Amino acid sequence: MNSRNSAAEEQDLLCAVALNAMLPLANERTLQSAYYILRGRKANQTLQDVHLYTLYPYYRMFSRFPREDWEKIVSTLFQAGWILPVDAGGTNSKPTFTFSDTGLQHAKHMYQKYRFDVWFAPFTQSDLAERIEPFWSRLHLMVQTISQMHHGDLGFIPVVSDKTAQRSVKNQLADGAMRTAWKQQLSDELYRLWEPLDEGVQELLFCQLSGVGQVGKTLGQVAEIRQTSRSYLMLQFRYGLAASIQTLLAESNHYPLLSKLVTESHKLDPRLTESAARTYALLQTGSDKKEIAKKRQMKESTIEDHLVEIALRCPEWDMTTYLPNELAKEIVETSERLDTSRLRLIKDQSEATVTYLQIRLALARATRGAK
Amino acid sequence: MNQQLMHDRLKLHFGYDSFRPGQESIIERVLSGRSVLGLLATGGGKSVTYQLPAMLLPGLTVVVSPLISLMVDQVQQLRARKKIPATYLNSMQDPTESREILKGLAEGAFKLLYISPEKLQQPYVQQVLKRTRVSLIAIDEAHCISQWGHDFRTDYLRLPQVVKQLGAPPVLAVTATATATVREEICSLFSIEKEDVVLQSLNRANIAYDLVEVAEEIDRRSYVIDQMDRLQGPGIVYCSTRQAVDVLTASYQLDGKKRVHGYHGGMNSMERMLIQSQFLAGELDVIIATNAFGMGIDKPDIRYVIHYQMPASLEAYAQEIGRIGRDGKPGYALLLFSWDDWQIHQHMLEKEYPTQAQVQKYEQLCNTGVPLTNEALAMVDISEEMGALLAFYTERVLASYEAAAVGESYPKAQIIWQETEKRRSFKQKKLAEMVSYVRGENCLRASINTYFKENDHQFDLYCCKKCGLTTDAYFQTNDHTIAKNEQIKWNLRQALDTLLPNK
Repeated sequence: MNSRNSAAEEQDLLCAVALNAMLPLANERTLQSAYYILRGRKANQTLQDVHLYTLYPYYRMFSRFPREDWEKIVSTLFQAGWILPVDAGGTNSKPTFTFSDTGLQHAKHMYQKYRFDVWFAPFTQSDLAERIEPFWSRLHLMVQTISQMHHGDLGFIPVVSDKTAQRSVKNQLADGAMRTAWKQQLSDELYRLWEPLDEGVQELLFCQLSGVGQVGKTLGQVAEIRQTSRSYLMLQFRYGLAASIQTLLAESNHYPLLSKLVTESHKLDPRLTESAARTYALLQTGSDKKEIAKKRQMKESTIEDHLVEIALRCPEWDMTTYLPNELAKEIVETSERLDTSRLRLIKDQSEATVTYLQIRLALARATRGAK
Repeated sequence: MNQQLMHDRLKLHFGYDSFRPGQESIIERVLSGRSVLGLLATGGGKSVTYQLPAMLLPGLTVVVSPLISLMVDQVQQLRARKKIPATYLNSMQDPTESREILKGLAEGAFKLLYISPEKLQQPYVQQVLKRTRVSLIAIDEAHCISQWGHDFRTDYLRLPQVVKQLGAPPVLAVTATATATVREEICSLFSIEKEDVVLQSLNRANIAYDLVEVAEEIDRRSYVIDQMDRLQGPGIVYCSTRQAVDVLTASYQLDGKKRVHGYHGGMNSMERMLIQSQFLAGELDVIIATNAFGMGIDKPDIRYVIHYQMPASLEAYAQEIGRIGRDGKPGYALLLFSWDDWQIHQHMLEKEYPTQAQVQKYEQLCNTGVPLTNEALAMVDISEEMGALLAFYTERVLASYEAAAVGESYPKAQIIWQETEKRRSFKQKKLAEMVSYVRGENCLRASINTYFKENDHQFDLYCCKKCGLTTDAYFQTNDHTIAKNEQIKWNLRQALDTLLPNK
């Protein structure tokens, strides 16, 4: 097989993933919503869909999935007659799609062909997608550091440049006794953790690690060596990590060290950008925006941007301190009357005391309601 | 300062037996408290000129550097390999981290601080530095301060001011690319005397310059792929766009012989780091990359650089081929060009700079006080990139006007537009110079050296295409085909034992 065949297999695999992700969404959602799930969009609608249709394995499967590639997949699916377009019905509904009989059969066939049942098994809850990347960064950096320590050479450039991962590994190794424990037991814990996995997956995980005498391979390079599709390896890689995380969560007493790389709780709200999530955490402790700006040493206008983001993504947030319900209604009415979302125009037509922040907050919630 | 001490320190921290051209005379001047402009060829060892004084001067050496990744790399290397207490401050760090570093600085825990220019503008950073004794301010990539430089940055504008505020310690400005105009501007901004300008020969005697005009994309690709197969590596192939990188990499991998990987800003950071490490470790023969690759990479044995497309300026070109043969052994620079390259650059220039109407709309938007989100900009037909550019020039115009005419009103939009126009025609000029280089009849080495006011035109093996060169000399002699990965039976325990030897 050469790279040309790999490209064909890549396309085939992506179609298989897309079809199976679309299956529960047929007749109810747009095609785009499947794309957003695969990319791991942090919008409310997407997160709700993942939950509602139990599409956990698909969430953020390909976080850098280019839109052009997606369009190509979709048109392939249409051309093959596996899915059919369904036009928007009423005024409020959006165009959706439906499956043909051959499409249903094909989806099932592909599911078996690519052993999705195996690779998807560990994805039983929604936070796994969020955990995979940080876990891998910490594990990768820990292995590199310990490997360097065994060779008595700490003068190395860390492969993981992510600051949070670096800090977490540094904390783990700050204490002398812990350092010794990691040095002595990491290899053994990894062995027990990965030994039950498929051999191909073991090797896939291992060869991406770096340390003394080994620079990790990229997924693309492994795909080339194995003459297979990169995305199919991505599935197996995610499976390996998700399975590892599940084991570590369930049997943390058997893995006293490695479990430390997963259990660090996610205090920050995953729906938000990191910075906005910190602001939200402070809001919940009762701070107002001035205090938050001071505490975080940021401009108040930056905190205001966070508030708008929170209003958009966290429907439970009570923002009446910043925008009384009455005023919110007025602003939305003004916006509808003028048929515009342009802040300047709305502000001109509102009372002088109305701030841009209030208009942005009102519009943030209004669009949510309409959709 | 004692010569012996300088050499001892050079050996101790850097492991070198002798200085490279220019280094010693820069360091001597710096140590005697003079402000200096050092002009060293790319790969000529600029960093030693401030890292070594940092160890010998009583107080702190502050290094202003525009590139965060470079800063992080250098500090990591300093701490790990050279045992120099160094740290860095930039806007990517969180407040807790910067506080810790500032505390360390106040306690005198560091000899060397790398800092981004914008971080250096912050009052609380300046306060800490004022209380610490600053012995030297080194300004890396000093050409960024000059509006005539190809890389002008607004945050460099206020540096002379900052130097004064920190008690006017000596300044060491270093750069690899500076034309005579840029040199003069740097000297006047930092009060550097003429005799304290140290120029090292910019001529790269071991590099041969080749040039090939291509008509069709298909010719270009097959020619480069063929050269990649034949040339003695390691090598770098530079493309103008990410897409070109992906396409060339994919087509090479179809039947090319060498171990090759693409590299560009669209890849995630871990992947980029792995590729870079593999290249440094000799596990890859060729990197196909955009200009995102190469900055701060310390690999002395790069044997060739191919430019798949013509770059936008001679400065950029010189910088990229400057990575060839830092070990002094022969190297080969191949530049491909076509009429299309010029058109693409031309098109990008047109798109990059605003029309007068766009500047006016932007100004109006600013005056409304609406946050300048991408959506807000999109409503007045300004792209994200254009928005960033306009913010840059607004800041710059404000910076020069708040100093000159306090409180007076002035036609801001008009001035901003004129500034962007100046910039556009400047870039246009750079492009024209690049075109005249590729279309010229003269010796390529002489043309590029003359451009940088360098009169030394000596060469080791071959000079250039115009003077005659045999490409064969740069081909690999032994046809070592890479052994395909042998299939060893996979064994998890064995693999782990190798990587994590539990003795």
